[in-house]
Amino acid sequence: MNWKLFADLAEATGESEPEVDAADAATVGEALDALLDAHPALAARVLDDDGDLRGHINLLRNGRDIREGEGLATPVDEDDELALFPPVSGG
Amino acid sequence: MTGLALDSTQLDRYSRHIILDEVGPAGQQALLEGSALVVGAGGLGSPVIQYLAAAGVGRLGVADDDEVERSNLQRQIVHADADVGRPKAESAAEYVRRLNPDVDVEPHETWLDAGNAEDLIGGYDIVVDASDNFGTRYLVNDVARLTDTPVAHGSIYKFEGQATTLRPDGPCYRCLFPEAPEPGEIPDCASTGVLGVLPGTVGCIQATEAVKLLLEAGEVLDGRLLFYDAMDMTFETVPYRRNPECPVCGDEAIDSIEGIDYDHGCSVTAD
Repeated sequence: MNWKLFADLAEATGESEPEVDAADAATVGEALDALLDAHPALAARVLDDDGDLRGHINLLRNGRDIREGEGLATPVDEDDELALFPPVSGG
Repeated sequence: MTGLALDSTQLDRYSRHIILDEVGPAGQQALLEGSALVVGAGGLGSPVIQYLAAAGVGRLGVADDDEVERSNLQRQIVHADADVGRPKAESAAEYVRRLNPDVDVEPHETWLDAGNAEDLIGGYDIVVDASDNFGTRYLVNDVARLTDTPVAHGSIYKFEGQATTLRPDGPCYRCLFPEAPEPGEIPDCASTGVLGVLPGTVGCIQATEAVKLLLEAGEVLDGRLLFYDAMDMTFETVPYRRNPECPVCGDEAIDSIEGIDYDHGCSVTAD
Protein backbone atom coordinates (compact mmCIF):
# COMPACT_ATOMS: atom_id res chain seq x y z
CA MET A 1 0.00 0.00 0.00
CA ASN A 2 0.97 3.60 -0.52
CA TRP A 3 1.09 5.98 2.43
CA LYS A 4 0.54 9.70 2.29
CA LEU A 5 1.22 11.94 5.28
CA PHE A 6 -0.01 15.49 5.72
CA ALA A 7 1.33 18.59 7.50
CA ASP A 8 3.66 17.97 10.46
CA LEU A 9 3.23 14.18 10.17
CA ALA A 10 5.40 14.22 7.04
CA GLU A 11 8.14 15.90 9.08
CA ALA A 12 8.17 13.03 11.57
CA THR A 13 9.21 10.67 8.77
CA GLY A 14 11.11 13.16 6.61
CA GLU A 15 8.90 12.46 3.60
CA SER A 16 5.24 12.78 2.71
CA GLU A 17 5.05 9.44 0.89
CA PRO A 18 7.22 7.05 2.89
CA GLU A 19 7.96 3.65 1.37
CA VAL A 20 7.02 0.86 3.75
CA ASP A 21 7.35 -2.84 3.15
CA ALA A 22 4.03 -4.22 4.36
CA ALA A 23 3.02 -6.49 1.53
CA ASP A 24 1.61 -9.07 3.95
CA ALA A 25 -0.50 -6.61 5.95
CA ALA A 26 -4.12 -7.78 5.89
CA THR A 27 -5.66 -4.85 7.79
CA VAL A 28 -5.20 -1.11 8.09
CA GLY A 29 -3.93 -1.70 11.62
CA GLU A 30 -1.17 -4.04 10.40
CA ALA A 31 -0.18 -1.58 7.70
CA LEU A 32 -0.07 1.18 10.32
CA ASP A 33 2.09 -0.98 12.60
CA ALA A 34 4.58 -1.47 9.76
CA LEU A 35 4.68 2.26 9.06
CA LEU A 36 5.17 3.16 12.72
CA ASP A 37 7.80 0.43 13.27
CA ALA A 38 9.81 2.00 10.46
CA HIS A 39 9.23 5.54 11.82
CA PRO A 40 9.17 5.61 15.63
CA ALA A 41 9.02 9.43 15.70
CA LEU A 42 5.71 9.23 13.87
CA ALA A 43 4.41 6.68 16.38
CA ALA A 44 5.07 9.14 19.21
CA ARG A 45 3.09 11.77 17.30
CA VAL A 46 0.01 9.76 16.29
CA LEU A 47 -0.49 7.25 19.14
CA ASP A 48 -1.65 7.97 22.67
CA ASP A 49 -0.22 6.39 25.83
CA ASP A 50 -2.41 3.33 25.32
CA GLY A 51 -1.17 2.82 21.77
CA ASP A 52 -4.45 3.93 20.19
CA LEU A 53 -4.66 6.42 17.35
CA ARG A 54 -5.11 9.86 18.91
CA GLY A 55 -8.49 11.54 18.55
CA HIS A 56 -7.30 14.30 16.24
CA ILE A 57 -5.47 11.99 13.81
CA ASN A 58 -7.52 10.76 10.87
CA LEU A 59 -6.70 7.68 8.84
CA LEU A 60 -8.12 7.30 5.36
CA ARG A 61 -8.21 4.25 3.13
CA ASN A 62 -8.72 5.23 -0.51
CA GLY A 63 -10.09 8.59 0.59
CA ARG A 64 -12.55 7.20 3.14
CA ASP A 65 -12.28 7.55 6.89
CA ILE A 66 -11.63 4.11 8.38
CA ARG A 67 -14.14 4.95 11.14
CA GLU A 68 -16.80 4.53 8.43
CA GLY A 69 -15.47 1.01 7.83
CA GLU A 70 -14.16 -1.37 10.47
CA GLY A 71 -11.57 0.96 11.97
CA LEU A 72 -8.09 -0.52 12.21
CA ALA A 73 -9.59 -3.92 11.33
CA THR A 74 -10.57 -2.61 7.88
CA PRO A 75 -9.03 -4.95 5.25
CA VAL A 76 -6.35 -3.56 2.93
CA ASP A 77 -5.02 -4.52 -0.49
CA GLU A 78 -1.50 -3.92 -1.67
CA ASP A 79 -2.47 -1.11 -4.05
CA ASP A 80 -4.61 0.81 -1.52
CA GLU A 81 -3.87 4.45 -0.71
CA LEU A 82 -3.61 5.10 3.02
CA ALA A 83 -3.40 8.61 4.41
CA LEU A 84 -2.84 10.10 7.86
CA PHE A 85 -3.75 13.70 8.55
CA PRO A 86 -3.95 16.00 11.56
CA PRO A 87 -5.79 19.31 11.89
CA VAL A 88 -3.72 22.44 11.32
CA SER A 89 -4.38 25.75 12.99
CA GLY A 90 -2.41 28.48 11.24
CA GLY A 91 -4.14 31.51 9.89
CA MET B 1 -37.13 40.48 -6.03
CA THR B 2 -36.93 43.08 -8.77
CA GLY B 3 -33.62 44.59 -7.81
CA LEU B 4 -35.21 48.03 -7.55
CA ALA B 5 -33.50 48.50 -4.22
CA LEU B 6 -30.13 48.80 -5.97
CA ASP B 7 -29.26 52.39 -6.84
CA SER B 8 -27.51 53.37 -10.06
CA THR B 9 -24.05 53.41 -8.47
CA GLN B 10 -24.63 49.92 -7.12
CA LEU B 11 -25.92 48.68 -10.48
CA ASP B 12 -22.60 49.87 -11.90
CA ARG B 13 -20.36 48.63 -9.05
CA TYR B 14 -21.89 45.15 -8.98
CA SER B 15 -22.73 44.88 -12.69
CA ARG B 16 -20.52 41.82 -13.23
CA HIS B 17 -22.42 40.04 -10.46
CA ILE B 18 -25.81 41.25 -11.58
CA ILE B 19 -25.47 39.87 -15.11
CA LEU B 20 -24.76 36.40 -13.74
CA ASP B 21 -27.91 34.27 -13.69
CA GLU B 22 -26.69 32.65 -10.47
CA VAL B 23 -26.42 36.02 -8.70
CA GLY B 24 -28.54 38.62 -10.46
CA PRO B 25 -30.05 41.66 -8.77
CA ALA B 26 -31.70 39.47 -6.11
CA GLY B 27 -28.42 37.79 -5.21
CA GLN B 28 -26.61 41.10 -5.01
CA GLN B 29 -29.39 42.41 -2.81
CA ALA B 30 -28.92 39.36 -0.57
CA LEU B 31 -25.21 40.14 -0.26
CA LEU B 32 -25.96 43.78 0.59
CA GLU B 33 -28.48 42.69 3.20
CA GLY B 34 -26.18 39.94 4.50
CA SER B 35 -23.65 39.96 7.31
CA ALA B 36 -20.46 38.07 8.02
CA LEU B 37 -18.07 37.92 10.95
CA VAL B 38 -14.43 37.33 10.03
CA VAL B 39 -12.55 35.93 13.02
CA GLY B 40 -8.94 36.93 12.52
CA ALA B 41 -7.56 39.72 10.32
CA GLY B 42 -4.33 37.90 9.50
CA GLY B 43 -3.16 35.84 6.54
CA LEU B 44 -6.49 34.10 5.89
CA GLY B 45 -8.63 37.00 7.03
CA SER B 46 -6.97 39.51 4.71
CA PRO B 47 -8.31 38.19 1.39
CA VAL B 48 -11.60 37.21 3.02
CA ILE B 49 -12.15 40.77 4.24
CA GLN B 50 -11.09 42.23 0.90
CA TYR B 51 -13.35 40.05 -1.24
CA LEU B 52 -16.38 40.20 1.05
CA ALA B 53 -16.06 43.97 1.15
CA ALA B 54 -15.69 44.15 -2.63
CA ALA B 55 -18.71 41.87 -3.03
CA GLY B 56 -20.80 44.29 -1.02
CA VAL B 57 -21.56 42.16 2.03
CA GLY B 58 -23.61 44.76 3.87
CA ARG B 59 -22.32 44.27 7.40
CA LEU B 60 -18.82 42.95 7.92
CA GLY B 61 -17.46 42.23 11.40
CA VAL B 62 -13.73 41.88 11.92
CA ALA B 63 -12.64 40.35 15.25
CA ASP B 64 -8.96 40.52 16.15
CA ASP B 65 -7.22 41.79 19.25
CA ASP B 66 -3.73 41.86 17.72
CA GLU B 67 -1.65 44.69 16.38
CA VAL B 68 0.02 44.72 12.97
CA GLU B 69 3.66 43.64 13.04
CA ARG B 70 6.12 44.12 10.20
CA SER B 71 6.60 40.33 9.95
CA ASN B 72 2.86 40.02 9.16
CA LEU B 73 3.09 42.03 5.96
CA GLN B 74 4.61 39.20 3.88
CA ARG B 75 1.13 37.60 3.81
CA GLN B 76 -1.45 39.77 5.62
CA ILE B 77 -2.22 41.90 2.60
CA VAL B 78 -5.07 43.93 4.06
CA HIS B 79 -2.45 45.82 6.14
CA ALA B 80 0.30 48.12 4.87
CA ASP B 81 3.67 49.26 6.14
CA ALA B 82 2.21 52.40 7.72
CA ASP B 83 -0.19 50.21 9.77
CA VAL B 84 2.57 48.58 11.83
CA GLY B 85 1.61 49.00 15.48
CA ARG B 86 -2.08 49.70 14.75
CA PRO B 87 -4.83 47.31 15.84
CA LYS B 88 -5.48 44.84 13.01
CA ALA B 89 -9.26 45.21 13.35
CA GLU B 90 -8.99 48.96 12.81
CA SER B 91 -6.45 48.69 9.99
CA ALA B 92 -8.67 46.18 8.18
CA ALA B 93 -11.76 48.31 8.80
CA GLU B 94 -10.06 51.32 7.23
CA TYR B 95 -9.26 49.23 4.15
CA VAL B 96 -12.92 48.26 3.86
CA ARG B 97 -14.15 51.85 4.24
CA ARG B 98 -11.83 52.97 1.44
CA LEU B 99 -12.88 50.09 -0.81
CA ASN B 100 -16.64 50.13 -0.55
CA PRO B 101 -18.96 52.64 1.14
CA ASP B 102 -21.83 50.12 0.89
CA VAL B 103 -20.25 48.01 3.60
CA ASP B 104 -20.89 48.77 7.26
CA VAL B 105 -17.66 47.49 8.78
CA GLU B 106 -17.62 46.62 12.48
CA PRO B 107 -14.13 46.25 13.98
CA HIS B 108 -14.11 44.19 17.20
CA GLU B 109 -10.79 44.74 18.91
CA THR B 110 -11.23 41.75 21.12
CA TRP B 111 -10.08 38.17 21.66
CA LEU B 112 -12.97 35.83 20.94
CA ASP B 113 -13.59 33.89 24.13
CA ALA B 114 -16.28 31.84 25.83
CA GLY B 115 -17.71 35.03 27.35
CA ASN B 116 -18.28 37.02 24.15
CA ALA B 117 -18.43 34.39 21.39
CA GLU B 118 -22.16 33.77 21.47
CA ASP B 119 -23.06 37.46 21.23
CA LEU B 120 -20.51 38.09 18.49
CA ILE B 121 -21.13 35.03 16.32
CA GLY B 122 -24.87 35.02 16.91
CA GLY B 123 -25.04 38.59 15.60
CA TYR B 124 -24.06 37.63 12.04
CA ASP B 125 -25.52 35.47 9.25
CA ILE B 126 -22.27 33.56 8.76
CA VAL B 127 -18.82 33.35 10.32
CA VAL B 128 -15.49 32.90 8.56
CA ASP B 129 -12.92 31.15 10.74
CA ALA B 130 -9.64 32.81 9.81
CA SER B 131 -8.15 32.43 13.29
CA ASP B 132 -4.68 31.09 14.06
CA ASN B 133 -5.11 28.73 17.01
CA PHE B 134 -7.05 25.60 17.93
CA GLY B 135 -8.78 27.12 20.96
CA THR B 136 -10.49 29.77 18.86
CA ARG B 137 -11.27 27.29 16.09
CA TYR B 138 -13.08 24.88 18.42
CA LEU B 139 -14.84 27.77 20.12
CA VAL B 140 -16.06 29.07 16.74
CA ASN B 141 -17.26 25.59 15.75
CA ASP B 142 -19.12 25.01 19.00
CA VAL B 143 -20.74 28.42 19.32
CA ALA B 144 -21.65 28.56 15.63
CA ARG B 145 -23.44 25.23 16.05
CA LEU B 146 -25.30 26.42 19.13
CA THR B 147 -26.38 29.59 17.31
CA ASP B 148 -27.18 27.85 13.96
CA THR B 149 -24.53 29.91 12.17
CA PRO B 150 -22.71 28.46 9.12
CA VAL B 151 -18.89 28.55 9.20
CA ALA B 152 -16.41 28.86 6.33
CA HIS B 153 -13.35 27.22 7.87
CA GLY B 154 -9.77 27.50 6.64
CA SER B 155 -6.41 26.72 8.23
CA ILE B 156 -2.82 26.56 7.07
CA TYR B 157 0.55 24.98 7.82
CA LYS B 158 3.75 25.97 5.97
CA PHE B 159 2.77 25.01 2.39
CA GLU B 160 -0.53 23.20 3.05
CA GLY B 161 -4.06 24.31 3.69
CA GLN B 162 -7.35 22.80 4.79
CA ALA B 163 -10.81 24.19 4.12
CA THR B 164 -14.31 22.99 4.89
CA THR B 165 -17.73 24.50 5.39
CA LEU B 166 -19.88 23.73 8.40
CA ARG B 167 -23.63 24.10 8.01
CA PRO B 168 -26.01 23.88 10.96
CA ASP B 169 -27.57 20.69 9.56
CA GLY B 170 -24.30 19.04 8.49
CA PRO B 171 -21.27 17.55 10.22
CA CYS B 172 -19.18 19.89 12.39
CA TYR B 173 -15.44 20.32 12.85
CA ARG B 174 -15.50 17.97 15.84
CA CYS B 175 -16.90 15.19 13.63
CA LEU B 176 -13.55 15.39 11.82
CA PHE B 177 -11.30 16.19 14.75
CA PRO B 178 -13.12 15.47 18.04
CA GLU B 179 -10.48 17.17 20.17
CA ALA B 180 -7.63 19.58 19.54
CA PRO B 181 -3.98 18.69 19.86
CA GLU B 182 -2.44 20.05 23.05
CA PRO B 183 -1.04 23.59 22.75
CA GLY B 184 2.46 23.52 21.27
CA GLU B 185 2.05 20.04 19.82
CA ILE B 186 1.69 21.39 16.30
CA PRO B 187 4.02 24.36 15.80
CA ASP B 188 2.58 27.71 14.69
CA CYS B 189 3.52 30.03 11.80
CA ALA B 190 5.89 32.05 13.97
CA SER B 191 8.07 29.03 14.63
CA THR B 192 7.65 27.08 11.37
CA GLY B 193 7.28 29.84 8.81
CA VAL B 194 4.55 29.98 6.16
CA LEU B 195 4.61 30.66 2.43
CA GLY B 196 3.14 34.16 2.14
CA VAL B 197 0.74 33.43 -0.71
CA LEU B 198 -0.61 30.23 0.92
CA PRO B 199 -3.25 31.96 3.08
CA GLY B 200 -4.21 33.98 0.01
CA THR B 201 -5.28 30.82 -1.81
CA VAL B 202 -7.01 29.29 1.21
CA GLY B 203 -8.62 32.57 2.28
CA CYS B 204 -10.02 33.05 -1.24
CA ILE B 205 -11.64 29.60 -0.97
CA GLN B 206 -13.20 30.65 2.33
CA ALA B 207 -14.42 33.92 0.80
CA THR B 208 -15.94 31.95 -2.09
CA GLU B 209 -17.77 29.72 0.37
CA ALA B 210 -18.94 32.73 2.38
CA VAL B 211 -20.40 34.38 -0.72
CA LYS B 212 -22.14 31.13 -1.75
CA LEU B 213 -23.59 30.74 1.75
CA LEU B 214 -25.02 34.26 1.62
CA LEU B 215 -26.32 33.71 -1.92
CA GLU B 216 -27.59 30.23 -1.03
CA ALA B 217 -26.07 29.17 -4.35
CA GLY B 218 -23.90 26.33 -5.56
CA GLU B 219 -22.50 23.37 -3.70
CA VAL B 220 -20.64 24.37 -0.55
CA LEU B 221 -17.84 22.34 1.02
CA ASP B 222 -20.00 20.78 3.71
CA GLY B 223 -19.16 17.19 4.58
CA ARG B 224 -15.95 17.57 2.58
CA LEU B 225 -12.47 18.54 3.69
CA LEU B 226 -10.37 20.18 0.99
CA PHE B 227 -6.60 19.77 1.14
CA TYR B 228 -4.41 22.17 -0.80
CA ASP B 229 -0.68 21.55 -1.24
CA ALA B 230 1.09 24.59 -2.64
CA MET B 231 4.35 22.74 -3.33
CA ASP B 232 2.74 19.86 -5.25
CA MET B 233 -0.01 22.19 -6.54
CA THR B 234 -2.68 19.64 -5.78
CA PHE B 235 -6.20 19.87 -4.40
CA GLU B 236 -7.88 16.84 -2.86
CA THR B 237 -11.25 16.54 -1.18
CA VAL B 238 -12.12 13.91 1.37
CA PRO B 239 -15.72 13.30 2.40
CA TYR B 240 -16.68 13.10 6.07
CA ARG B 241 -19.90 12.43 7.89
CA ARG B 242 -21.74 13.58 10.95
CA ASN B 243 -20.63 11.54 13.94
CA PRO B 244 -23.72 10.46 15.93
CA GLU B 245 -21.52 10.53 19.04
CA CYS B 246 -20.20 14.03 18.36
CA PRO B 247 -20.58 16.01 21.58
CA VAL B 248 -21.48 19.19 19.69
CA CYS B 249 -23.74 18.05 16.84
CA GLY B 250 -24.48 14.42 17.67
CA ASP B 251 -27.52 12.73 19.17
CA GLU B 252 -26.71 13.90 22.67
CA ALA B 253 -25.30 17.29 21.88
CA ILE B 254 -24.36 19.90 24.45
CA ASP B 255 -26.59 22.95 24.85
CA SER B 256 -23.90 25.28 26.15
CA ILE B 257 -20.12 25.59 26.06
CA GLU B 258 -19.90 25.84 29.83
CA GLY B 259 -17.03 23.77 31.20
CA ILE B 260 -15.11 23.34 27.92
CA ASP B 261 -11.45 24.29 28.39
CA TYR B 262 -10.52 25.98 25.13
CA ASP B 263 -6.96 26.52 26.32
CA HIS B 264 -6.19 22.81 26.70
CA GLY B 265 -7.48 20.33 24.15
CA CYS B 266 -11.01 21.75 23.93
CA SER B 267 -12.36 18.50 25.35
CA VAL B 268 -16.09 18.22 25.98
CA THR B 269 -16.23 16.21 29.18
CA ALA B 270 -19.32 14.08 29.46
CA ASP B 271 -20.78 13.83 32.93
